[in-house]
Amino acid sequence: MASLDTTAPPHVTTEKPPKSVQQQYKGSWGPALDAALRMFLFATAMVAVIIMAASKQTKLISLFPGFAIPLEAKFTQSPAFIYAIAALSVACLYSIITGVLSVFALMKPGGSWTKLQFHFVIFDALLLGIVAAATGAAGGVAYIGLKGNSHTNWNKVCDQFSSFCSHLAGSIVLSLVSSITLLLLVWLSIYVLSKKLTRG
Amino acid sequence: MDTEYKEKENVSNRNSSFNYKELVFRLLALSLTLVAAVVLGVDKQTTTVSLTLVPSLPPVDLPVTAKWTDLSAFVYLVIVNASACAYAAISLVLLLVTRGGNKLVSLILLMLDLMMVVLLFSAIGATGSVGLIGYQGNSHVQWEKVCNVFDKFCHQVAIAVFLSFAGSITYLLLILLAAVTLHNK
Repeated sequence: MASLDTTAPPHVTTEKPPKSVQQQYKGSWGPALDAALRMFLFATAMVAVIIMAASKQTKLISLFPGFAIPLEAKFTQSPAFIYAIAALSVACLYSIITGVLSVFALMKPGGSWTKLQFHFVIFDALLLGIVAAATGAAGGVAYIGLKGNSHTNWNKVCDQFSSFCSHLAGSIVLSLVSSITLLLLVWLSIYVLSKKLTRG
Repeated sequence: MDTEYKEKENVSNRNSSFNYKELVFRLLALSLTLVAAVVLGVDKQTTTVSLTLVPSLPPVDLPVTAKWTDLSAFVYLVIVNASACAYAAISLVLLLVTRGGNKLVSLILLMLDLMMVVLLFSAIGATGSVGLIGYQGNSHVQWEKVCNVFDKFCHQVAIAVFLSFAGSITYLLLILLAAVTLHNK
């Protein structure tokens, strides 16, 4: 504000919105909602990682009567799922760190909340891109696994490995929820920054 | 409110560098997503593969065609790029009409920019992972690679993915710019 006042004409500088009471009131739910969303992000990303990591399925395929070979489906067989696991683990770790920072800001009144929000916007937006790309990658490969593709002769595999595919589906839905949570987090940070809730 | 609006008008001269940067980034996003959508949207290749049906006879040449509509991930990328391009055009018009002075409009544009980042990144992820299967194949599920036959088609997909990645980075930079502007105010 101070830098603006130096260049603006003097007749407008006298007008300042008197909203100190509003600031105190609104400053309380911003950090609380932020911390709650970060906990939710942690939970969804964590469960998504666990479900995808536990999606191993082994099936006996009988070539001819009396002789069968075990076939295995694991998430490590496709690079897209490895990337999804890595991205969701990063989201998990990130949500722990930022959640602790957010809770500290919640306990400490006033202080550097807007400065923290400024950093959160940038890193949240970056992580949002990473998680959205992971959701897209896992979803794209799983869709081919579910439906197959006749043009490229890629057969569907989900009729063979149904438990593996339902694990993957659950994990992809949860990572979609994580990315929506991150979207809400960035929207909240932008809203807080634009309203300057706790800035005196 | 009236005086505040006048203050905005006066300050806009000082803030002209920020508006200029936003304009450039939006133009860049518009052109990158447009080119990406067009590059993938016209992607089509027909080649002939020689197939040996009976060993004693000479091999038969079969024409095979790869088109961007064959894979749903590619269709998704084209749709997302087209909508990001249309949104960039609308936001440019809004930016030029309001001259970056309207607070509500710039807040809504910022939130929609973020939506575009999400959509573009998910489309890039989907196309990238499907394209990787096309490039390398997957031996575990017997998915054969196809890029050794359709080389030009695959290169065009790679170019489209790269261009839309650049477009999504431009949208990220727009968000960074807006956050810096909001913070410094």
